Amino acid sequence: MKPAPFDYLAPTSLADAVEALGSYGADAKVLAGGQSLVPVMAMRMSRFDHLIDLNRIPELDFVRHEAADVVIGAMTRESRVGSDPTIAENVPLLTDATQYIGHFQIRNRGTLGGSLAHADPAAEYPAVAMALDATMHLVGPDGSRSVSPEEFFLGPMTCCAEDEELLHSVSFPVWGPGSGFSVQEFARRAGDFATAGVAVGIRVADGVVDKAAIAFFGMASAPVRARELEIELVGQKAMDLDFQEVGNQAVAHLQPPDDIHASSSLRRQIGAQLASRALSTAVKEAT
Amino acid sequence: MTAVAGRYVGQSVKRREDARLVTGHGRFVEDVAWPGTLHVAFLRSPIARGRIVNLDVSAALAVPGVHSVLTAADLNEHAREWWQNMIGKDAPMPPKRLLAEHDVRFVGEAIAMVLATSRYVAEDGVELIDVDFEAETPVLVERAGFEGVAADDANLVHPEWGSNVAQALPGPMGPGMPLDNPALEAVLASAAHVVTETFTQHRYLCVPMESQGINVRWDRHRERLEIVSATQSPHEVRSCAARLIGINDSQVHVVADDVGGGFGQKMFPATEELAVIMAAYRLGAALRWIEDRNENLIAGGHARNEDLTMTVATDESGKILGVRAHHREDIGAFPAYAVGSSASSVGMYLPGPYGFGEYFFSSEAVFTNTCGRVAYRGPWMMESVAREQMMDVTALAIGMDPLEFRRRNVVTPDQLPFTTSTGLVYETVTPQATLEQAAEMVGYDAFRAEQAEARTHGRLLGIGLSSYIEPSVGFGIMGAEQVDLRIDYDGSVVATTGSGSHGQSVETTLSQVIAETLGVDIDKVVFTQGDTAVAPFGSGTGGSRTAAVYGGAAREASVLLRNKVLAIAAEVLEASSDDLDMDLGVVAVRGNPGATISLADVAAVAYAGYTILPESIEPGLDVSFRIRAPMFMFSNATHAAVVEVDPVTGAVKVLRYLVSEDCGNMINPMVVEGQIAGGVVQGIGGVFYENFVYDADGNPLTTTFLDYLLPTAAEVPTIEYGHIVTPSPTPGGFKPIGEGGAINSPAALINAVRDALTPFGARVVSQPLGPQQIVDLIKGPASSAESI
Amino acid sequence: MSEHILHLTVNGEAQHVLVEGRKTLADMLRDDLRLTGTHLGCEHGVCGACTVLVDGAAVRSCLMFAVQAHGSQVTTIEGIADADGGLSAVQSAFRECHGLQCGFCTPGFIVSIESFLDAHPDPSDEDIREGISGNLCRCTGYQGIIKAVRLAAETRAATPQDMSAPDDAVSDARVGA
Repeated sequence: MKPAPFDYLAPTSLADAVEALGSYGADAKVLAGGQSLVPVMAMRMSRFDHLIDLNRIPELDFVRHEAADVVIGAMTRESRVGSDPTIAENVPLLTDATQYIGHFQIRNRGTLGGSLAHADPAAEYPAVAMALDATMHLVGPDGSRSVSPEEFFLGPMTCCAEDEELLHSVSFPVWGPGSGFSVQEFARRAGDFATAGVAVGIRVADGVVDKAAIAFFGMASAPVRARELEIELVGQKAMDLDFQEVGNQAVAHLQPPDDIHASSSLRRQIGAQLASRALSTAVKEAT
Repeated sequence: MTAVAGRYVGQSVKRREDARLVTGHGRFVEDVAWPGTLHVAFLRSPIARGRIVNLDVSAALAVPGVHSVLTAADLNEHAREWWQNMIGKDAPMPPKRLLAEHDVRFVGEAIAMVLATSRYVAEDGVELIDVDFEAETPVLVERAGFEGVAADDANLVHPEWGSNVAQALPGPMGPGMPLDNPALEAVLASAAHVVTETFTQHRYLCVPMESQGINVRWDRHRERLEIVSATQSPHEVRSCAARLIGINDSQVHVVADDVGGGFGQKMFPATEELAVIMAAYRLGAALRWIEDRNENLIAGGHARNEDLTMTVATDESGKILGVRAHHREDIGAFPAYAVGSSASSVGMYLPGPYGFGEYFFSSEAVFTNTCGRVAYRGPWMMESVAREQMMDVTALAIGMDPLEFRRRNVVTPDQLPFTTSTGLVYETVTPQATLEQAAEMVGYDAFRAEQAEARTHGRLLGIGLSSYIEPSVGFGIMGAEQVDLRIDYDGSVVATTGSGSHGQSVETTLSQVIAETLGVDIDKVVFTQGDTAVAPFGSGTGGSRTAAVYGGAAREASVLLRNKVLAIAAEVLEASSDDLDMDLGVVAVRGNPGATISLADVAAVAYAGYTILPESIEPGLDVSFRIRAPMFMFSNATHAAVVEVDPVTGAVKVLRYLVSEDCGNMINPMVVEGQIAGGVVQGIGGVFYENFVYDADGNPLTTTFLDYLLPTAAEVPTIEYGHIVTPSPTPGGFKPIGEGGAINSPAALINAVRDALTPFGARVVSQPLGPQQIVDLIKGPASSAESI
Repeated sequence: MSEHILHLTVNGEAQHVLVEGRKTLADMLRDDLRLTGTHLGCEHGVCGACTVLVDGAAVRSCLMFAVQAHGSQVTTIEGIADADGGLSAVQSAFRECHGLQCGFCTPGFIVSIESFLDAHPDPSDEDIREGISGNLCRCTGYQGIIKAVRLAAETRAATPQDMSAPDDAVSDARVGA
């Protein structure tokens, strides 16, 4: 289990990285934390001529509170995301989600951007980005562009970045006071990718839900929002919510995948319970 | 014989292996680097069954760094003999081949080997081999069912064998088993209760953390083959290598220093290792193959994967009157030894700790286009998996608590010596005592109240018991191990034996026995194993025999050597040897503290000053003792598990796990508990997490640690232990313990799940019990074992 | 195919190695520096046997390319004991608590636990189980390992000098190697 040969490049600036990507395009692959890419390379299920390592570009590793957003550089390691006080205070859903990612040794290398760009449907960060309506900032030889999570996540292991583009950073909106968040996840073992999981945000004003976001992971080919339910929730009294019922509604429209670990219907059953628990936890925190 | 607690034996002596291992200075097979070694990677079959219609290695040969590419045409015809020491030359032998020739018979079968300057380059070469297949219908239980495979004469895994049935018992190959038992039929026709159920266990694997691997070089000038191998049995590797290429055992030198677990997988050299041996010999090269995890999972040997149907007849009171059993195994394409079947052991050990009355056992094993069966920690353990579930199922069917049902059938002290329905004789087992101790420790009666209370809150708690007799065989090469012991000129003690410790702490425990028996400081004992150049012939480590067989031999060798030391000391001290004691290497005359002689001084006399000794005392201080072990040795244990089932997610949490065991005198209680714990967690893995899956085309779906799930620390409970000590009649009073944790835990866990799911009437008879299976059981139609 | 000269410090000793870009950190440590205590149990980032410290952080060395460690401070299992061979609190506790049997997974556990205890000096049992769940052991059933972590935490609490990060403890990697 040894990777096939490639040329290794380690640009030290974003500009150099973009230039390299522009030159090699589809013949190149970007290396972020490597915690998912390197195993796939070792199994020779992924091969390319050039590996562009982003780990020596300090300008991609940052956490900044800008206006109504927290902006996080794509190469910010998961261990930092999980422990950063600015993130914990303003985007606690990210902090909460981080504990479920692999193990601490994985989080010491894995990056926010790598996890998002890898677009594993069972991963936590894509669902958080989806739930919070984050904005993904991409850069390429032709400049930069910003996309929504719906535009970004195209399917299993597929994001919208072109061959010449890389994920630069992600803006997470700060929900402000009266908000509550929760990530709930079921995995076969500690640290495994989720069999099913959900990221939830609720904002309550004067006892009434004024904003709701429910995003599942492991339940579809990409993270998926329960938009219709969210709209229904807005305007309801937080205290009156029947969480079990809401949980069931949240998964009603989903057709989760079947695999050797769980059937579609089991995933839906678990998802409903997780959603119910997450909503209950988030509402409690918000009120 | 009474329990001992000496200076060393019976103490949790800290391991002498540890200092090197905790600092990164172990020497595992992959740590050995010979100059000029070529690294091997195999091209493996991507399909389960088919003809090889094209095999072109020219592109691989063109890769810089690729030295050569070998195929069946280069190697297979040179293979001489395949039989193994432990199995003997007369056992039935299914087809064997070093590399796939003309056809492939399972996904993962090695077709070609690339030899290159590094494993990286070797894998580059493998990718460039051009191979085409004409796929054929794979023979799979997953596809055709067991009977379908057995009956299929059109599609044969091994055309040379003529049938997909590898073995059927009773039959001409059976170990003298009766062809029927009319008395059992009479019992079944007339008993108050007759219960039948079939239990299935899935395919799960040994998975040592260190995979298999070998370094081999042929020195053509000295005509000597040198091997460093990750093996449980260096002498087995030596013999297999010598036989394969047609040289003498003495021309082969096998070393296994530190070995990273085995659990049965490393008992015999893998086919790939034999191919590497042959290639090194043919090429006169130094070769090295380190199996990667993907290879280890798909082709390193599979285990379990069988079912067993039991019919139990009892009288009104729940006393077992008779048992009929039929066992079916899927042994894959190329099992590791003989036909790979454990049926004769399953049939022999099935009665376990109970009186079975009239008994009849039959079995069938089939070849399939899957990875072959390998030994895994208690290869026959289906007997415990099925029997202990059947105890619960039968108890439920006749309206009795499983503990009570066990109490009515367990072998009691007054029945000893007890002869089982299969003719095994138990002399010192204590299954009633461990059953009662386990029930007491787990608080069985109180649990029932707790369980009822929990159910009112929708919580599903369950308790499961499982008892077994752990057999260790002492026949063939496994029953006659030798320990060589000498005291060197400086008074240090040197011990060598044919064990192949791969985690069992043998360096420590045998040193304990030797130091204790001889009367020396344990730090003065230098213990060497895993080296055929210095060790006497042995069968390696496996089969739960180290304590009883090697330990017994070590004890007897130590007694012989001690007697010689005392005889020499008696001459020097002018005393009778009967009046001498030796402790910590100093011989003293009892009652005369001034009259002493050190071991070094005794050694000086033995080696240099022997002229003062009478002719009857041979100079020197070395002895050998090869033990003759009993045909069978037995220990026993009862496990108890308490679980909670989450009805929504299907997750099972093991809340408590405890083991009451009687392995006789414990050389090192810490090591005993460690062996049990490791086995129990393999059972937890097997029942709840591990599952090797093939699809209907014979493609493996669980080829990495991302899908083949080993339990982590977060999935296991704290294991509690109860020890009952009843020494065996063998030297030292030691009994087998190494495999029992893995043998007995599955049934306890499954029984606990069944107990938790009682409200649903779930028919819990198969594994694995992952979330999906649990939820299906809860939702499934309520059914139970048929009761007449 | 690219080759790179990398300069790094391993167990306190400066090293200069010529490696192919695709060579993993684990293979470089084992093959080029002959630090064979770092073990490969799966090569796909699950078993944790290859865990080393890179700039103080515990990482899977099978999931890093050697060239990525250019300029880094790497500590392997061979660098955990002090220069005189004195075992760390974690190493001693493994021996004391029968935290190992075959010993193959042990280096990864020990390196991980050194790092874990730096971050969690007083862990609960649940913390310990979660903290070591990124390392697989097949022999011990984790019983002795969990005990060892608890004991090591107590030992470290009682001996403040052990609290320094292992990579600060400069030692000669080649001693006894």
